[in-house]
Amino acid sequence: MEDYPLQVKELQKSFKKKLGLSSFKAVDSISFHLFPGEILGFLGPNGAGKTTTINCVLGLLKPSGGKVSLWGSQPAAPKVRRRIGYVPENPDYDELFTPFEFMMMFSSMRRLNMSRNRIYAILDRVGLSKWEEVRIRNFSKGMKQRVSLAIALQSEPELLIMDEPTGGLDPAARKEIRDIILEENRRGVSVFLSSHLLSEVETICDRAVILSKGKKVIEGKLDELMRTEDHYRIEYMVSDEQEELEIHAALLQNTIDDLRGRGYSIIRVNPLYRSLEEVFLSATTGVGR
Amino acid sequence: MKPVITFALMTLRNLLRRRTIWGISIVILIALFGIGQIPSYGISNEGRFILDFGLFGLEIGALLLAIGLASNIYPRDREKKTLMPVIAVPLSRGQYLMGRFLGAAIVEAAAMLVGCVGLMIILVMNGHNVPVDMLPATGLLLVEGWFLLAVVFFFSFWTSPPLNAPLTVLLFIVSQMSVAGFIKLFPQAPGLMRTLRLILPHMDVFHIKDPIAHGIDIPGMYFFLAMLYGLAYMAFMLSLALVVFRNRDLK
Repeated sequence: MEDYPLQVKELQKSFKKKLGLSSFKAVDSISFHLFPGEILGFLGPNGAGKTTTINCVLGLLKPSGGKVSLWGSQPAAPKVRRRIGYVPENPDYDELFTPFEFMMMFSSMRRLNMSRNRIYAILDRVGLSKWEEVRIRNFSKGMKQRVSLAIALQSEPELLIMDEPTGGLDPAARKEIRDIILEENRRGVSVFLSSHLLSEVETICDRAVILSKGKKVIEGKLDELMRTEDHYRIEYMVSDEQEELEIHAALLQNTIDDLRGRGYSIIRVNPLYRSLEEVFLSATTGVGR
Repeated sequence: MKPVITFALMTLRNLLRRRTIWGISIVILIALFGIGQIPSYGISNEGRFILDFGLFGLEIGALLLAIGLASNIYPRDREKKTLMPVIAVPLSRGQYLMGRFLGAAIVEAAAMLVGCVGLMIILVMNGHNVPVDMLPATGLLLVEGWFLLAVVFFFSFWTSPPLNAPLTVLLFIVSQMSVAGFIKLFPQAPGLMRTLRLILPHMDVFHIKDPIAHGIDIPGMYFFLAMLYGLAYMAFMLSLALVVFRNRDLK
């Protein structure tokens, strides 16, 4: 059986401060993995270590400790790099070139030998039709983001590593990009998605890892993370009217018995769900339920 | 090799689309035009002067081109983060360095060729013969230019562009000094200075304008060995640059 598309074990990354006399840990012994075909959200406040982790995954930074592997191989191995698509945070490309020229260059460097029509089709898919031959100096931040996505998609990758892919995009454009991510995922692509936009993660991710101050504070399936362990919602009928009650787990059985004792019929009892924002705030700042 | 060639061609187009190269070319053309004016001063042996000054101009042009072309490539790629998508997926760091170097080397070669042809035209227009050794002499200056490009790339991986230029010029100057000149710099440690002289490149081997201007015949083996020396030193500098680059964290 093949290894996980992405596995991070006890990853550490420290940066030296000025003069190299001291250092600070940007990433502190984090471990997680990405299952084949899933979309893993990678969350954390600014400075939590998300981009540092991604840069270690891509081999741009050398880990101070721990191990990163892609399908069981080192990130720098050419055989695994061929299988990756990468969308950087705040991408910038040489402004004297056009998206078409960039796509041609990346296609040639990856030995894809794509035709003009195929490149135009990909640029069209990410919303850059009619902009194929315009120099990037005229592009907004969001359009540069689309160029990144086009470059990432051109090799039909098996793993998409995305660092804030919808940053700088308007809501309509964000939805378009989300749809593309979901389409790719349906094709079987595993997605490692770092984002500040919790609603986005909530909409498309299967699982999430939350970092805070360089450490992993939470990892799990979204519905498990959002389900509270100590609060429940009881829905019951009171003479043809539906009522509901939120209650602490410790009081659950007594309350159910009490309601039944009064002759009310219990419709359902469900664990209470928090929003991802509440989960995030609770994990990173201790605020919330 | 295909990824490197693709990236080199992209670098070439990039450099041609920037204004730096055209600025340097204009300076070289003005210098050549100035050399073309030498006969109007009524100097004796004007052909020798034109050749001497012309080759000197190409030598300085090679240095300026190397600095102008390469000192900003990596810092700009890093600052604008254009480096990240390239290094993260399709290219290794070695391929990136080779692609960037080859692109700049092609521009340097084209500029030197244009300079050489310009100098030949000036000689012919003023009624002088073009020496047979002029092309190989320009070839040596080109190898020197490529070596300087490698030096500039090496410095660019661990220093800033404003520091890169003076460091390269300093190396260019000290690499033409003799052992005696080195010892004069620090007479208290002659052994150290001799060793330093041995380690640092001997760029004087590329400068043969004086013998050519005086019509002295230069054996073909000299050109061959000097080119071999320059290319070997260039490869060494690129390897050194790669070692530094491979150990850089790219944030």
